[in-house]
Amino acid sequence: MSEGTLLVRGGRVIDPSLGLDALRDVRIEQGRIAALGEHLSAEGATVFEAEGAIVAPGFIDMHVHLREPGQTHKETIATGLAAAAAGGFTAIACMPNTEPALDTPALLREVVERAAAVGGPRLYPIAALTRARAGTELVPYHALAQAGAVAFSDDGTTVADPRILRNAARYAAELAQPFISHCEDAHFKGDAVMNESPTSFRLGLPAAPGLAEDIIVARDLLIAGETGKRWHIAHLSTGTSVDLVRWARTRGIEATCEVTPHHLVLTDERFEDYRATAKVNPPLRSAEDAAALRAAVRDGTIDVFASDHAPHAAEEKAQLLSEAPVGFSGLEIAIGAYAFALPDLPLDRFVALASTNPARILGVAGGTLRVGAVGDVTIFADRPWRVDPTAFRSKGKNTPFAGMTLPRRPLATIVGGRVVFALDRPTP
Amino acid sequence: MARSLLDLDDLSREEIDAILDASARFRDGFPARDLLAGVPVLNLFFEPSTRTVTSFTIAAQRVGADVVSFTPGASSLGKGETIADTALTLYAIGVRVIVVRHPESGFARRLSDDFAGHVINAGDGTHAHPTQALLDLMTLRHEFGRVEGLKVAIVGDILHSRVARSNIVGMRMLGAEVILVGPPTLLPQGFCAAGIRIERDFDEVLPYVDAVMMLRIQRERIATGLLPSLDEYTARYQLNARRLRALRPDAVVMHPGPYNRDIELTDDVLRDRRSRYAAQVQNGTFVRMAVLDFLVNGVRALA
Repeated sequence: MSEGTLLVRGGRVIDPSLGLDALRDVRIEQGRIAALGEHLSAEGATVFEAEGAIVAPGFIDMHVHLREPGQTHKETIATGLAAAAAGGFTAIACMPNTEPALDTPALLREVVERAAAVGGPRLYPIAALTRARAGTELVPYHALAQAGAVAFSDDGTTVADPRILRNAARYAAELAQPFISHCEDAHFKGDAVMNESPTSFRLGLPAAPGLAEDIIVARDLLIAGETGKRWHIAHLSTGTSVDLVRWARTRGIEATCEVTPHHLVLTDERFEDYRATAKVNPPLRSAEDAAALRAAVRDGTIDVFASDHAPHAAEEKAQLLSEAPVGFSGLEIAIGAYAFALPDLPLDRFVALASTNPARILGVAGGTLRVGAVGDVTIFADRPWRVDPTAFRSKGKNTPFAGMTLPRRPLATIVGGRVVFALDRPTP
Repeated sequence: MARSLLDLDDLSREEIDAILDASARFRDGFPARDLLAGVPVLNLFFEPSTRTVTSFTIAAQRVGADVVSFTPGASSLGKGETIADTALTLYAIGVRVIVVRHPESGFARRLSDDFAGHVINAGDGTHAHPTQALLDLMTLRHEFGRVEGLKVAIVGDILHSRVARSNIVGMRMLGAEVILVGPPTLLPQGFCAAGIRIERDFDEVLPYVDAVMMLRIQRERIATGLLPSLDEYTARYQLNARRLRALRPDAVVMHPGPYNRDIELTDDVLRDRRSRYAAQVQNGTFVRMAVLDFLVNGVRALA
């Protein structure tokens, strides 16, 4: 729509990094915030009218699975970034469980270059925490950090051997990039397809208890404390996990954590039809767990909203429950689902979890509209809409939110002053 | 939409009663030969089974159906074929009723979602085995004249038993009191529902109940760390001569078969006049006839 100068006019600007909640104009020049004030000049600028909408520093989804390289029938960097833009995200961090896994500087650079060629939202790669995500050998953490890694994670699996994980944490402790752990004990997990509960018994489905997560969260927080490595716990799903994070903080352990839309909203009763629509790791839990997660967002224990966008082809998800892959598309329902889960969450806190905090945790540009910062802006409004996965930009059309009406949606996504998505307008 | 029987809660209480009434009539010699004349029935068993497939075959033949049995290798469908493909193909071939057994819970449901005819679940993973539960209910009703108010203990590996699950559903619907008995690792964690109790001590339960249903115990429960030893299991949960003495004289003993002699029960049980194993197997054919008639011809056919 516009290169060069953009004026976002008349919106309610909410930026926790500035303690700001007021009607303001935002002027972006040469990719950066040039001015933030009232009645700014539109001279030489393309104007984006934001009256009646909320204008926030660009949202960052720090937990996204793109499938390139290796599984481009599920998603490509291009379709994933298009989905991110449509979901209101100006930047995403992609998990390294591609084929091959992102465990070398060359692979990381290639992904970054392909994303740059696409344009659209910024892509920050997360490097594997162990070689080939196999959990047995270390990766070159310093070289990967230099190549652009914003964090290290074997997400999708848990590093089973605590000696390896501790060695990795000791080795990489001095690096700013956090470790991100996916917490599920493999022995507990076994062939489980869902959470162990009265529902799993009734349906006769193999199931693993919440304990599978809790014991690994505890282990990883203890290793974080002992090694001093900055740590981030991915997709918390149980009330006990949240309590463990609270405990860790009382001990001065530097740990942050995230929650997904599905764990906030949905429960393990989504398997009555024996379809894999809601099959995900960690699994959907009880209503009590979901309530504990919402409470932990409200009280500030949970730092970040993250979608765990995990697209798959329709025919893969249509397989038997035991064979179908885990995960579903999340980028394009995320903002709406967070608001659905937490209608009472103050907007400045909402923006903090979607933008300010992930930017801080990953140490990336954005998360603020202060003058001089990158010109990344998310414009959204409280406008109910019905989830229709066939309209997704993502190749993955599967979501357990299909058909639900969500209360909030992005109106425009602006990256470096360029509008990469605008609702009801053709995307450039 | 053609009706299917995936578990007993697909039926109303009145429909269960009607099916049990019809089963009793078939046992008494009610003519059945033309009920499903020429209806193509496919037994599709992904798990080996001699007793159930034979029972379904004889039941289908007695109601006049054209029955074919197919046992696909392992658990796979055709190469690259989805469940939907299989369902469409079988219907196009002419199959109108599929009797299906599969090692995965929910398979019968998934098949019925895409199959335009009727599906009868003959066992899906650890989920359900509704015709087994119906034959158990028929056996109890024949014995006591009713199911409502009966106290029934189900003993053993509840967690892995589709027979237990379907019986829990059916007995709750008909108003029996269900007592689940077994070691903690083979009972559901945190499971509670109206009309169901969990008890650890078999000896305390024995004098109290109208019926005990003994479940098959598999040796692999030891290898997977759920049971310490068969000796410990038999000491606490085996039905044998000593425990038979504690069972009321008017109580009955049931087992879905095939039983493991000297594990969950001893020969004393099989010889005991309270054992209903043979009656259960016989009743199986009659309830399967009634289920075929009910699904294809509707509940009125049974009246």
